[in-house]
Amino acid sequence: MDGKRTKIDIIEDMLSSIINKGGHIKPTHLMYKSNMSHGQMKTYLEDLINKDLVKKSKKDDYDYILITDKGYEFVQKLKQMREFEKAFGL
Amino acid sequence: MAWEWFFGKDIFIDSISLVVLLLIAFFATKYYFVKKSRNYLFLALSFYSIALAFLCKILITFTINYRILHREVISSMQYTTTIVQSSEILLISGDLFYRLFTLIGLFLLYSIYERQSKANIILMTYLLALSALFTKDQYPLYYLFYLTTFLFLGIITHRYYQNYKENRETTTGMLAASFCIITLSQLLFVLKVITKSFYFAGEIVQLIGYISLLATFIMVLKHGRKKNKN
Repeated sequence: MDGKRTKIDIIEDMLSSIINKGGHIKPTHLMYKSNMSHGQMKTYLEDLINKDLVKKSKKDDYDYILITDKGYEFVQKLKQMREFEKAFGL
Repeated sequence: MAWEWFFGKDIFIDSISLVVLLLIAFFATKYYFVKKSRNYLFLALSFYSIALAFLCKILITFTINYRILHREVISSMQYTTTIVQSSEILLISGDLFYRLFTLIGLFLLYSIYERQSKANIILMTYLLALSALFTKDQYPLYYLFYLTTFLFLGIITHRYYQNYKENRETTTGMLAASFCIITLSQLLFVLKVITKSFYFAGEIVQLIGYISLLATFIMVLKHGRKKNKN
């Protein structure tokens, strides 16, 4: 991606990383996949949980981040927005 | 000239254009609240402004048809005169607002792609106000308004074509084609000065343009969904 990522770019990267991993991902993997620092991820993750786009879960003693239906819908809207941007050259 | 049969049908054509414009403006607004980008704001405002212009045009056309209808039906001369006088204000103001909102909308759309300095904005506002005020249908210079819209749309279409040449996407190509058709319709409106049949032709071409704009928009939404599944 060109230049500095915007907030919406980071959120899109995070949600897409979870989807690419089948809908759930370990927090450390999410951090690496979406190119973020620990502090940055903590802030964004809290925001996404508050907005009900992702949720935390525990499986086999490991913490996982799960994408919600609302999260899937949001990614879909973002993809449409990107397509719209591309068509209009915005 | 037997083109009066077309009266009323242009309301239908303009209503379709209005719906297409409002739909795109609505989505641009939605995306603006997600991304808070200037370009989305300008796109939304531009489409709302042109939609408002179409609403004014529909009101004008409706008023003209209403007057013709009443002249046919009502036998009292006194009553006919009252109707004509009251609808005259609506006609004049509607016509002016149609021109103003169209030009503002096109200028906003143009400004997305061609960044404007403050001095340019002031100068352009003055010129657009002049184009809107002094090109009423009765004036011999009326075609200047359509020449202005033709020029604006021509530049915007060229920008969309450049965009298509860069990414070769179907949706981008369709958008350029839709705007090209709408630009052509403005040229036909200019030629209305020769014969009013060009107005009819312009409306039909404009309808084709807005329907293809709608098809492009539906394709953009579908394409986004499809890519998401992959």
